[in-house]
Amino acid sequence: MIKLIDVVESVCPVCLRRVAANLIGEGETVSMVKECEEHGPFSTVIWRGPPAFESWLRPKIGYQGGRRDTSTDKGCPYDCGLCPEHAQRTCTALVEVTGRCNLQCPVCFAGSGNTAGSDEDIGQISDRFAAIFASTGGCNLQISGGEPTMREDLPDIINAAGKAGFTFIQLNTNGLRLAADLNLAEKYRDAGLSSVFLQFDGISDQPYRVLRGRPLWSEKQRALENLARVGLGVVLVATVARDVNEDMLWDIVRFGIEQQPTVRGVHFQPLSFFGRYPTGFTIDHVTLPEIMTDLQKQSAGILQAADFNPPGCEHALCSFSAKYLVNADGKPMRLGQGNSCNCQPTLAEEGARQSIDATARQWGPVTLPSAAVNHQPDDLDDFLARARTHTFSISAMAFQDVWNLNLERLRGCCIHVAPSGGGLVPFCAYNLTAMDGCSLYRRG
Amino acid sequence: MSMSFLPEDMNWICRPCGVKLQPSTVELSYLGSVFSVELPACPQCGAVLISEELATGRMLQVEQLLEDK
Repeated sequence: MIKLIDVVESVCPVCLRRVAANLIGEGETVSMVKECEEHGPFSTVIWRGPPAFESWLRPKIGYQGGRRDTSTDKGCPYDCGLCPEHAQRTCTALVEVTGRCNLQCPVCFAGSGNTAGSDEDIGQISDRFAAIFASTGGCNLQISGGEPTMREDLPDIINAAGKAGFTFIQLNTNGLRLAADLNLAEKYRDAGLSSVFLQFDGISDQPYRVLRGRPLWSEKQRALENLARVGLGVVLVATVARDVNEDMLWDIVRFGIEQQPTVRGVHFQPLSFFGRYPTGFTIDHVTLPEIMTDLQKQSAGILQAADFNPPGCEHALCSFSAKYLVNADGKPMRLGQGNSCNCQPTLAEEGARQSIDATARQWGPVTLPSAAVNHQPDDLDDFLARARTHTFSISAMAFQDVWNLNLERLRGCCIHVAPSGGGLVPFCAYNLTAMDGCSLYRRG
Repeated sequence: MSMSFLPEDMNWICRPCGVKLQPSTVELSYLGSVFSVELPACPQCGAVLISEELATGRMLQVEQLLEDK
């Protein structure tokens, strides 16, 4: 039976004009169906399989506070900065410190390359950090690019972020330089880095050949060895693409668990069709429920699809997560309550505050106990000691592109790019590109 | 495994039974996890004494972890 679930706003993939979009349910599949007066109809699957789409939704009371650097003029998504219509505060600010990269991936949301380009100097970046901190009132920070390790002064940049007030500083990297240079991880750690968001598409060369243009499996392992040596927290970040690595999800999780306590979690990012992607790729999004279900199937039930919860911070349709404690026998035990709620609207700001703290705790390095216990250790002590080193998060975030953009989701976004020109732009608006590659916000 | 969480002062009486509490191995269970600890317990009715320090210290930490808070 076909039914209309909701009518939302999206854009035309060709001209980026705002259009109405119907969310149409048929069995366990939900599609976004929209039509541009000039460029015709478009249909994209946004949800496949259990849990049921409508059971996943979590209404939020939007956050209207904080600084707004742009006014609402043309309406969403054309006034980002943030504009007064935006309904969530910044949980993570993302700063691109270079456009240069030592890979030329066939798939890259930033469209980065190996061209020289001109990087901002450390003074300009420090000013940007200070402006973000003042504007957001403090949040988590991700240093990104391009490939940020291309900058020789990256330790200075990390240090400047700390001086600006950021306490959780994460580096988004392909890890190649960390693999090649034994001392780099230590320099970053000593400069104040908390965590490494390591591009990690699988545990063999095959997915790297397709997504990154060359085999990288041995380099990824070397990068991890070097990071383990200095005690930085690492999150393995896999771009999940249809027929490339969707059969390898549990393998990645299992590998991550084996690398505890260095690896603090696995984060899946289904491939989005923005920035650079091969023209031969069929627009076929791997959806969040497919990842949840595949994790259950591939792990033979060690993980359960029902383990995963919608987010309290960003829009419910943007992500899922679960936290586990990995016991001494290697089995993950899920922490927290199951996916149930009374589904009364919750405060977006409260969700963001919890997420900022929880992310920093889980994705940062393991912490050592403050003092030795003054009694014979018992089961409670053993559990607490294990939890310090062996909690593990599994999460996924589905970015939006011109095919599946839902402006309600965009207005609920908490991951904001801080471009060199100032302001804050929701990640999926910043990276949005029309079919011809034209960008709404990204320059250069 | 060694298990012990006994207050320095073991001079506690179970009021309903009028019996002195004795060290006893007790299973605490929460959200599907079971923890074996040694606590002062009434040998007659089985009531256990959980000190404020334990309740607001390690026990609270374990609860928060299990609740993922």
